[in-house]
Amino acid sequence: MDDGLSSFRLPRAPVAAAAAALAPAALLAGCSGPQSWADTAGVEAEAVARLLWIMVAAAVVIWLLVIGTMLFAARSGPSDPRGRGARGLVIWGGMVAPTVAVLALLVAGLILMRDLTGRTGELTVEATGEQWWWRIAHAAPAGDADAAPVPTPNELRLPVGRTVEMVLRADDVIHSFWVPSLGGKLDMIPGRVNRLHLTPTRTGRFRGACAEFCGEAHAQMALPVVVMQPEAYADWLAGQAAPAAEPADARTRRGRELFLATGCGACHAIRGTAAEGKLGPDLTHVGSRLTIGAGQLPMGRAEMARWIADAGAVKPGVRMPAFDMLPAEEIRLIADYLVSLE
Amino acid sequence: MKQKTLFEEGSLWPVIAALGIWAAHFLLSYWAAALWCAKAADGSGSLFWVRLAIAVLTLLALAAIAWLARHAVRRYGGRLTFEDDLTEDSAAERARFLGHATLLLCALSAVAVLFDAVPAVVFSTCR
Ligand code: HEC
Ligand SMILES: [Cu+2]
Repeated sequence: MDDGLSSFRLPRAPVAAAAAALAPAALLAGCSGPQSWADTAGVEAEAVARLLWIMVAAAVVIWLLVIGTMLFAARSGPSDPRGRGARGLVIWGGMVAPTVAVLALLVAGLILMRDLTGRTGELTVEATGEQWWWRIAHAAPAGDADAAPVPTPNELRLPVGRTVEMVLRADDVIHSFWVPSLGGKLDMIPGRVNRLHLTPTRTGRFRGACAEFCGEAHAQMALPVVVMQPEAYADWLAGQAAPAAEPADARTRRGRELFLATGCGACHAIRGTAAEGKLGPDLTHVGSRLTIGAGQLPMGRAEMARWIADAGAVKPGVRMPAFDMLPAEEIRLIADYLVSLE
Repeated sequence: MKQKTLFEEGSLWPVIAALGIWAAHFLLSYWAAALWCAKAADGSGSLFWVRLAIAVLTLLALAAIAWLARHAVRRYGGRLTFEDDLTEDSAAERARFLGHATLLLCALSAVAVLFDAVPAVVFSTCR
């Protein structure tokens, strides 16, 4: 009788051996790069990694003790369970030691959590999870206390060496904010405000990801992260706070006209124009971002045209309609205009 | 058949009572902190009153568990034994088994209640 389960055979020996040989290499390869908790670039990620290594070391010691005792018992043959020392072994080894170990873990974990969330930062960045992108806003540059926060969606830029307080929210469903190299993760929950601290220790480019399944395009909800020198960060933020650049030539001027005429402004804002939509990411400085669509395409004119023509082909499920009914040349003009918005 | 009441001889209730105290302690502590931080805390988010409340709850829960443990020893002849098998088919042995189980669950619940209270020791504000 073929029950359809015959395809679930175990891998044959050579395959299994090869897999076993490759597994450590694959695991090690996961320990470096822009999205690794082990390749830390932030005070908070270091604290989490340190606790993990202590746990691993303690777990190895406990494991060796238990297995060693087991082997010893198996070797030495049957003996009277009421014999001398048996009661002490059960009480101390079986009850007191695990209780103390779990208590130590609990206290260490709680203290770590308190230190990661309980302080106030030197600057504040708001991040709101959306299906399937990141609505981010930086507190306005210093000296301008009542100015509105600066929208900088889909890319997180931070100054090195400063503690940032991330204010995490969600608009629709539960998302989770995680930049493994820097710190986290912490859930973004509708109706709640969660706070997380990040203190980057070196400049560079990193990658964050939504870490809570949030719908169809969850796996494509990435977050490029750039840690910069404080002066470069200040320049960047001042640039982001300014309204959009005026088109420099006839092509981009025509692109802006088409952008406004096509109705993109219903969902997108470009500060300084009539486009004031709030449903999708602010595009005032979209050309200055590293990627399009929350880490899905590199920034470029061809990629931008591809996104506008059919964003759903790049990111299935995306909440932006396809515009492939527009003539290809019009799409290119809009794309050129957007890429020019640095 | 009539259900046995809480402390009637042979009642099963004492066995689960300690776990019930642990559950109640957990829920009340959790609610106290959640409601305080959502509705009552001032700008500083101080947890002073919640920590005090949890301290009182913890003492009450431990006292109740201690009383239950005493009950298990006195009325059921429960003992903290590991070596003896309680297998005899008699009413007295059954009672001893219930006392034994109650006593162990009291120990577990006391530890669990203390664990519930640890966050209140570590955290001093709602943040
Ligand atoms: C119905 C609302 C809606 C309309 C209309 C719309 N968009 Fe979008 N757009 C979105 C949403 C939502 C996203 C975020 C998609 C994602 O990454 O999940 C988005 C993303 C984008 C992005 C990527 C932004 C980034 O930060 O990477 C660009 C560029 C863009 N849209 C351009 C356009 C253009 C050009 C038009 C008009 C031709 C347009 N959109 C019309 C909703 C809309
Ligand atoms: Cu998400």
